[in-house]
Parts: sequence; C-alpha cells; structure tokens
Amino acid sequence: MTMTLRKLAACAAFFAVFTAANTVAEAAAPVAQIQAALTKPAVMCGRFDQTKQLTGIKKPLLSNGRFCVAAGKGILWQTLQPFPSTLRITRNAIVQMQNGRVAMRLDAQQEPVVKMINNVLFSLLAGDLSQLDKLFELDGAIKNGNWNVALKAREPGLAKAIGDIRLEGAAFVNKVIMQEASGDHTEIVFSAIQTGDKAMTAEEGAMFD
Amino acid sequence: MTEPVDKHAGTSGTPPGKSLRGAGRALALAWLLVVAVLLGHNAYLWLVQRASPDTDILALLPSSRHDDVMQQAFVHMVDSAQQKVVVLIGEADWDKATQAASAYEAVIRKQPALLQPMAGDAAQLQGDWLASFDRSRLMLLTPEQRSKLRSDSPQQWSQLALGNMYGAFGGPKLGAWQDDPFGLFSGWVQARAQETPVRPRDGRLFVESGGRSYVLLLMNLQQSAFSISAQQQVIPLLDQAGRAAKQAAPDAEIITAGVILHAAAGSQQASSEMATIGAGSLIGIVLLMWLTFRSLKPIALIALSIAIGCLGALSVSWLLFGRLHLLTLVFGASLVGIAQDYAIYFLCARLGTAAQIDSRTLLRRLLPGLALMLLAAVIGYLGMALTPFPGLRQMAVFSVLGLLFAWLTVILWFPALIHADTLRSTPLADRCSHSIGRWPRFHANRNGYLLAAVFAVLAAIGLMRLTVSDDIRALQKTPQRLIDDQIKLGKLLDTPTPAQFYLVRGDTAEQVLQREEQLKQRLQDLIGKKLISGVQAVSNWVPSQRQQHADRDLIAATLLTPQGPLAAIAAAIDEPAQWVQDMRQRLSAHAEPLLPQAFIDSPAGQPWRHLWLGKTGAQYATQYASIVAVRGLNDYRQLPLLAAAAAPADGVQWVDKVADISAVLHYYREYMTWALLAAYFTIFLLLTLRYRRAAWRAIAPPLLATLATLALFGLTGQPLQLFHVLACLLLLGLGVDYGIFLQEPTDRHQRFSWLTVGLSAISALLSFGLLALSNSPPLHAFGLTMLIGMALVWLISPCFRGAASSSSSPHETRQ
Repeated sequence: MTMTLRKLAACAAFFAVFTAANTVAEAAAPVAQIQAALTKPAVMCGRFDQTKQLTGIKKPLLSNGRFCVAAGKGILWQTLQPFPSTLRITRNAIVQMQNGRVAMRLDAQQEPVVKMINNVLFSLLAGDLSQLDKLFELDGAIKNGNWNVALKAREPGLAKAIGDIRLEGAAFVNKVIMQEASGDHTEIVFSAIQTGDKAMTAEEGAMFD
Repeated sequence: MTEPVDKHAGTSGTPPGKSLRGAGRALALAWLLVVAVLLGHNAYLWLVQRASPDTDILALLPSSRHDDVMQQAFVHMVDSAQQKVVVLIGEADWDKATQAASAYEAVIRKQPALLQPMAGDAAQLQGDWLASFDRSRLMLLTPEQRSKLRSDSPQQWSQLALGNMYGAFGGPKLGAWQDDPFGLFSGWVQARAQETPVRPRDGRLFVESGGRSYVLLLMNLQQSAFSISAQQQVIPLLDQAGRAAKQAAPDAEIITAGVILHAAAGSQQASSEMATIGAGSLIGIVLLMWLTFRSLKPIALIALSIAIGCLGALSVSWLLFGRLHLLTLVFGASLVGIAQDYAIYFLCARLGTAAQIDSRTLLRRLLPGLALMLLAAVIGYLGMALTPFPGLRQMAVFSVLGLLFAWLTVILWFPALIHADTLRSTPLADRCSHSIGRWPRFHANRNGYLLAAVFAVLAAIGLMRLTVSDDIRALQKTPQRLIDDQIKLGKLLDTPTPAQFYLVRGDTAEQVLQREEQLKQRLQDLIGKKLISGVQAVSNWVPSQRQQHADRDLIAATLLTPQGPLAAIAAAIDEPAQWVQDMRQRLSAHAEPLLPQAFIDSPAGQPWRHLWLGKTGAQYATQYASIVAVRGLNDYRQLPLLAAAAAPADGVQWVDKVADISAVLHYYREYMTWALLAAYFTIFLLLTLRYRRAAWRAIAPPLLATLATLALFGLTGQPLQLFHVLACLLLLGLGVDYGIFLQEPTDRHQRFSWLTVGLSAISALLSFGLLALSNSPPLHAFGLTMLIGMALVWLISPCFRGAASSSSSPHETRQ
C-alpha cells in the first residue's frame, strides 16, 4: 500500500516538475530563477526519447513516442516504438492501454491516491509548487538560461522507493533522469515541443474527454 | 395481627415481658455484631479487593448457551476499539486540513496522561513492512489474477511484461522490474491497499470524500473509557482541541468517535438525572415523613433498614456466587425497596397504638403480619431462582437476602430504637388514616359484577393489543450528534461493524484459513450484489497453505515454463536462453510459505491482530479461531442473508452481538413473566392458608393494578420489555403487602394500615415512579410501570379491605 503510494507520488511529483517546474515559491534563489525561466503554456506536446537501463538486462531499452500535458485535464503518454502503448492520467483514473486492451487501470474511486496525484498535479499546473516543496528538497543551478534541479524526497521511505530525480532544461524541461534504488536507471529526453491550441491533435484532445 | 395476646400484653410489666426484653436486647446486640461484620466485609470487598460487578450482558445467559470462544472473539473486537478515539478533520484544501490537524494535536499532546496520538502509518512508511511478504511473492495472488492466469495467453503476458519494462510509469511497481516482471506482486499489494480507503500523505493519514480531504487522527486513551473522572477530563480536552482546529481552519469539519464519547454522554445524562430525579424524590420523601411524623427519625430508620438489607445482600451474594452482575445490583437494590414496608408498617403501628403498650409488645402483635409479608416476598422471588438464568438466580437470591436482612433489622432493632414518644401523630396523618372509612368498597353484588365485567373487557382489549420488544437498540438513547458522527466516520473509513462478524474455527490454523477462503467464496455473491463491500480476514493476507501452493503451481505452469512468456521477452530484448533460466530461478526463489502467526507478529500484521484469535480452548481440545469482519454493511435488514452464508458444519458461525443481547433480553422477559405468574400463584396459596376464602382480597389489588397497567400499555401502543416485567414483580411485592395490611379486622387497625399503605405507596412513587421522567429507556419503562401501577394499587387496595368491626379497646386508643 505504501509502496504503491510512494511510486504514484513519485510519478506525480515527477510530472509536476516536468510540466510546470516554473513556480517554486519558497525554494532557494536558483530555483526561483529557474521558475522564471520556464514558460507556462496551457497545452504542451512533443516527442520523447527514453533510455532505460534495467538491472539484469544487458542492453539498454530504447523507446520513443509523443506526450501531451493539458492544464486542468491531464497527461497523455503515447509510446510508439518499439510497440504502441498509451498511458492516460486524468482526474478520475490512471489508465494504460496496450493493443487496444486495458493493461492497467486505477480508478480514483477505488484508489484515493489517484485523486491525490491529480490534485497535486493540477495544483502544480496552476503554478502552486508548495506541494512539491513539501515532498522534495529542491536543489538547483542556472547558467545562461540552462538549468538543472535535483530532487530528493524529504521522507526517507519515499527517497528509498524512488531514488533520485534530476531535471534539466531551459524554457522547457529537456531531460529527466531517474536513478532508482533497485538499480534501474531511466533517462527521458524531450524535443520538438509545441505549445498553444494547435499543439494537441483532435484525437489526443478526445482522449481527455 | 389479631392474636388475643395483643390486648392483654398491653398491661405490661409481666414476667414473660421482662425475659422477652432481655432476649430482645441480646438479639439486638448480636445483630449489631452482624451489621459490623457486614460493614467490614463490604469495605473489604469494595475498598481493598476493589471488586467490580460484571457488565457483560452475555454472562447472563445459561452456561450451555455461553460460548467462551465467541466471548473471547467479541472481547477481542471490542477491546481493539474501546480505548481508541478517532478524529477526522476535513477541509476542501488539504493544507488547511493538516494545519487544523496540527493545531488539534498540539492541544492533545499537552495531556499525555489522558490521550496519546498513535503513530499511525508513519512508522510503516519508513519501515519496510513489505519485507514480510517479499520472500513469498510467488505464493500470493488475487482472485482476478488467478482467473487471468487461467484465461490469458502467454503472448498477452509477455506483452504486458514488455509494457511494464518500457513504460516510464507503468503503473505502480515495487522494486526492480526483474523482481516483478508481470506486476503480480504489485497487483496483490494494490488489492490489499484497497481494504482501507486510508492513505499516507505527507506523513499523515489521509481520506478523501465528497470533495473534502480528511486528516485521520488516531488516539489511544490512557485511562478506562468508563472512568467518569477520565470522561470529565477527556471530553473538555477534545472540545478544546476542536476549537483550536477551528481557529486554524474555520471551515474545517471535525468528526469525532470513540466509546468514551458514548460512555460520557451516558454518565452525563445519568448524573444530571440523578441530580434532578434523585433530589426530587429525596425531598419528597423527607417532606412526606415530616408531615406524617413531625420527625426525621423515621426516614433515617427506614433508610437504615434498607441499607443494612443491601449490605447484607451484597456480602452474602458475593460469598455465594463469587461475583455479581451489574444488572443484579440495579434490580436487586430496587427490589430490596420492598423492605421499606416493614419499617413503615412498624412506624405507623406505633403511631396508631396506645403509648402504654411498649414497642416490644407491639412487635409481638405485628410479627405474624410481618412474617407473612416476608414469606410472600421470599416465595415470590424464589420462582426466579428456579430459572436456568444465572442473572435471575442472582437477582432472586440478592433480593431475598436483602429483604431478610432489612426485616431482621426491623424486628431486632426497631423496638429498641422507637418508643411510644418517638413519634407524634399529626393532623395530616390522622386525616389520611381516617379517610379509609369513606373509601368505596367493592361489593360482590350486581354493580360489583358489572364493574368487574367492564374492567375485564377493557383489560382484555388492552392486553390483546400488547406487543413485545426485546431489541437492545430500543434501550439505548445516544445523542443524535454522536450517532451522526459515528455513521459518517464508518462510511469515510469503510470500517467493519464490530457487533456482527463471522467466527471461524478449526483444528489447525491451516483449517481455519481454508474455511475462511470457502466462506469468502460464498460471500462473493453478496459482494456482487453490493450488500457488503468486502471482508477483512487474515486469509486475505495469508492464504492457506493449500491456496499458496496452488497459486505457486499456477504461476509456475503459466509464466515460468521454459517456452513460456519469459522466452518471448528474451527474444524481444535480445537476451540468451541463460537469461530465461536466470529469471526463472530468480522468480522461483520467492516461494517461501507465509504463515499466519508470523504475519500477525510482523508490523504489517499489526492492524489485523484483532482478527486472529489463534489457539483457543482447553489443552485437550485445542482449537484455532479467527474473525472475518464484514465491511460496507449498511442495510441491517439483510443480516439474515449474511447469517445464511455461514455454514456451521464447516466451523463458520455468524455472530450478531446485537441480536444476541436482544435474545438475552427476550429470554429474561419470558422467564420473568413466568416467574411473575408463579409468584402470584404461590403467594395466593400462602394467603389462602391464612385468610381462607378472603385471600383474593389481598391479591386482587396488585393483580388488577398490573393488568390495568399492562392493558394501558397495550392501548397506547407501548411495547412490553423486560423492564416492565421487572417493575410488575416489584408491584406484586408491594401490592400484596398492602392487601395484607388492609385485612386487619378492626377499623382502628385498618386506619393505621391505611396510613402505612399511603406512606409506602407515595415513597415508592417518589423513589421508583419518578424514574418515568428519565431519558434512559429502561429506567423510563421501569418508572412508568411503577408510576401507573403504584397509583392504581394505592387507590384500589382499600376497595378490597376486609370487613372490619368497629370495636376497639378503649385503653388502646391514643389519648
């Protein structure tokens, strides 16, 4: 139960930072500057390239796809290569689709943490990063508009479960690095970021409804 | 009462009178010694031994019906809840809710001797509580996973594993991918998490409902929930903490629940009623005695006789039974109230007797009547002692002893304590006693029969409409605010009901777990119909060995075969056959059987300890037992369906504490009714021995008053309870006394008998009848019966007085 929470909270925190690491209210001065450097679009879409290094598996696992973040709605994470799969996080549920089948579904009604994640997420999208500050110690640096932030969970249990998260970026978040205690390592690079009403396709918009 | 010796003894000074006086003094001194011993024994019992009466109502059942394991199960459930105070602080904004919670806790923490906040899940969050399951990953599956393993193809499983592998956030996963490639263990943990809606959040416990976020605070009471001094400290502390929370967040909703709140509401009600009803009846009785005797000595003497009666009953009953039930004390003490009649009778007789006749001589004249009164009461109560119910036996013995001790006090002490000049007649007493002459009398003529017929018809109509109710819930009156909070809290936390559950037994722990699993299977139907939302059971966490091995075999046969999904994954990520071999070994290593006792002893098992009774019973018949608690039950009309799911043959028993207590009340009401009828019959036989054909005159007043009272309840739709029947028994005891008093053969004797009846009836009305004003349903029922019944007995009894001659010896008349 708590492990589940840790993971989900970690995901939430990650998304929060990734989408809108722009308003760290009471954090250290560099963090405030990073916040100022970030733009705050209502809708943002782009390409991601992910490299995963799992313990027990020799070769790195490469995947890529498309992501969308819509303020007040949620997050869409569509993996295209090596095989298609879609993750959708909204107010009411977290759903993973694979081959047209629901591979995983967490309903907010069944699992209160879903709502909590969304609450955290959406409050952060609105520019309130106090939630994040509560969960993580933020340590950042900025130089010539390029910045990086290291996140360390305040709770030892949480820290043990999610390990270290590191963000790099400029006007947007460009890179996320996650190092788990189990040895699993993930790097995600974002590119071709579009903002505004036309960033999201009609099909993608429909998936939020 | 009419022995010839009376009239001659009045001349006094005869030698037999002297020896009588000497013997009387010796007996009075002996009685003083007995009373001193009683006082000492009571002091020892209550002050040194700190004896406390039984309060468990099921202990009142005959021992054959009494089930020790069931009792233990219930104690287990109740104890886990009794010393807890649960508080939910809700706000639309989580931050404000936590601020309010912090303010609340800050107040509580100042009084660590009263309440201590429980660590909650904070310790769990840090400690690796899943460690106890880690070695048994392969043995644990949810029912959904089982059916998926049977239905889904190897290809679907390999795709799922690859999805988990590539996904950035492939749902909740625990540890490295290679330890749970198919997400089975995560899914099982997720299912366990859903047994409660409470989640840790920011180091606090969190519940979400209706757009509000609630902080859950659990506190442990450091003193007994039933200690009145603890209640008087804890309730204001909780109120103060609530105000502090409101100050921090004005819109915060605060929901509080705990046994202590109910207990405090009960004692508060009782103490405020004690103050008003108690003071009212005390003032009334003192005033009454003052107006009658112009002295407070009589009341002191009446109280003395009743007090010694109670002390004696307590001491001897305790020695006989080794324990006493609270109910025995309550009803026993009230039945000992009949003892007032002995004292009042003696006092009134003294008042109505010439001063030349000394008290000892008077006593000798009164003795046959007093003996008959005692005998009638003792015989009446012995019927209760013959029932198989330990509580009724205790009550009967307690009451008989109490009456005996009070009676002996009157016999042995009153002649020495009360002299002709102790009491002075008052005009009021005179007027009252003379009113008997003008009172209508029942005559066996045409009008009399007509009256009897009308009464019979009305009573029959009323009695036919009489309904009964043994529902324990009708006996509780809890403030609505507390009930509302309780219901809200139950819904928010999805807590199981502590009063209804399944008790599962078996010869071994394994058998208990297997039976739990079979029971859960049968309950699936009810969960599907949404009658209940689920169950809490140890087997949810620790399946039986049979199930664990079956699950391990299922996983091995579907996911761990050499050519199964692992091989497909290896091909997709370009790993050699050795990798498949390593993975199979790695996953198969987590197959250590999980055992219930180890789980219960682990930190993860701590919240579920109340469900596992473990080893029970005597050495030669060792049994294991557990509790399966039901969650989300909100329609209590569906209880029979839940009861039907238990198959007693398989060691599963449905326990409904509410129904059990109601059943106790039902048995007691029935047996008490039979005891009441038997008492009427035996007392009537006894009276026949003395009064021959006039015996019906003595028994008619309580009988008619009782019938009229019950008929009235029938007509007004008030259902009959145990407490009404108990009052009827008291009504019989007092009413027969009045009947006996009023069979005096002369006008003059009838006059002081009538005064006795009046005093006794008004005292009974003031002490028992005023309980009708109580807010506590049992006391109200008892009081109302007494109020109506006593008033009727009082008014009816003179109608059946014996035919009296107006002759009276002039020298006995007061100057």
